[in-house]
Amino acid sequence: MIFQKSTPKNTVDEEMTQFDAPADAERVDEIETVVGPSVNVEGDFASEGNIIIKGTVSGSVHTSRFLFVEQGAKIMANVRAGTAKISGEVKGNLKIRETIELTSTAKILGDIECRVLSVEPGALLFGKISMPGIEGAETRSTKPRNSRRADESTEAGE
Amino acid sequence: MYIYLYDNFLRQKKYDSIIKSVEVRLTDYGIAGKILRLNNFIDPKQIIDDEIKRGAKTVVIVGNDATFGYVLSRAATCDCNFGFLPIGPDNTISEVLGIPVGVEACDVLSKRRKESLDVGWMNNRYFVSKLHILPAKLKVVYDERFSVTANDKMEMVVCNLQPYYWKKETKDTAQQVVHPQDGKLEAFLRPLTKQGWWGYKYEDPSVFPFEEMEITSDSPFTVEADGKVSKEVKVKIKLAHGKVDMIVGRNRKF
Repeated sequence: MIFQKSTPKNTVDEEMTQFDAPADAERVDEIETVVGPSVNVEGDFASEGNIIIKGTVSGSVHTSRFLFVEQGAKIMANVRAGTAKISGEVKGNLKIRETIELTSTAKILGDIECRVLSVEPGALLFGKISMPGIEGAETRSTKPRNSRRADESTEAGE
Repeated sequence: MYIYLYDNFLRQKKYDSIIKSVEVRLTDYGIAGKILRLNNFIDPKQIIDDEIKRGAKTVVIVGNDATFGYVLSRAATCDCNFGFLPIGPDNTISEVLGIPVGVEACDVLSKRRKESLDVGWMNNRYFVSKLHILPAKLKVVYDERFSVTANDKMEMVVCNLQPYYWKKETKDTAQQVVHPQDGKLEAFLRPLTKQGWWGYKYEDPSVFPFEEMEITSDSPFTVEADGKVSKEVKVKIKLAHGKVDMIVGRNRKF
């Protein structure tokens, strides 16, 4: 039994690897910058391509394309990206041009500005969310402040 | 006028037949030229400069990846076109350049499809294929904007033309590849974490495309660029755009 040929199993494995290979190759081609675990990045971290973060980043993060923060990763920075998927921890404001996806393990301490937001149950979020598309939203948010300022100035005048 | 730089290993008898057939093919195409044999005591830059003065326009490197790196790391600034005839094992750069190994490379050479290649620059010398820094405590500053550090030692590979093949673990059968992109160098960083009393374990790697970077360390670290090993404390790596005019094949990967 020990020396039995294991050909059928091997063929299945080969088939599997053949199917996986193109997908992996595509992913490798797409991904440009990877911050691995146990790597600390400090400063203005910018890239023109996709970014995957598995380690720690402090400073600022900027990409015009896709940003993926993996579970266990920590970002202590303001983030600007085209689209983003967050599974790790972010302390800072996020300014996303298109879609942001928060998975169940995401922890965010900061404001989010995006066009489309998707939040999985379990995600933790502390901050303000603003999305363009609601008419008069800006005027509503500015009006009370202006009126308060106006009241203060009149009181000061008196 | 063509100049052919033969690597020393091509003196071996097993390469006689292929060298003969290559020379016949080159004569058929009318691009045969002077043959110079490289050895450890010859500086390629000096002999190429001498031949350029005598009217040489194209210098063809005949050999493998090591020959290619050895010649171009010293002679990248020479004012001539370069060609490559890959012969023998250890030829991965030829695949990137779209040049088939063996006699078929003469066809590519005769077609003279020319491209400018980017070359890496490291502490006053060039490297063409890749630069390897053995595990050490390093601090890397990219493009003077952000720095990268690891908790312990870190291994680093900078790819220019040559793709870098690596394995997650020594037992792994599947190889992973870092494909270099044009217009940028690819820095591949792999931190090591302590495991047990003596052992170290490789963590998942980081990949950063860059144009300029500075690597510093408190203690000297080993740098291997195109097969040349040196000890450094501070290394500045830059990308020199379009430094080398190279004859490439149609199936090139850039």
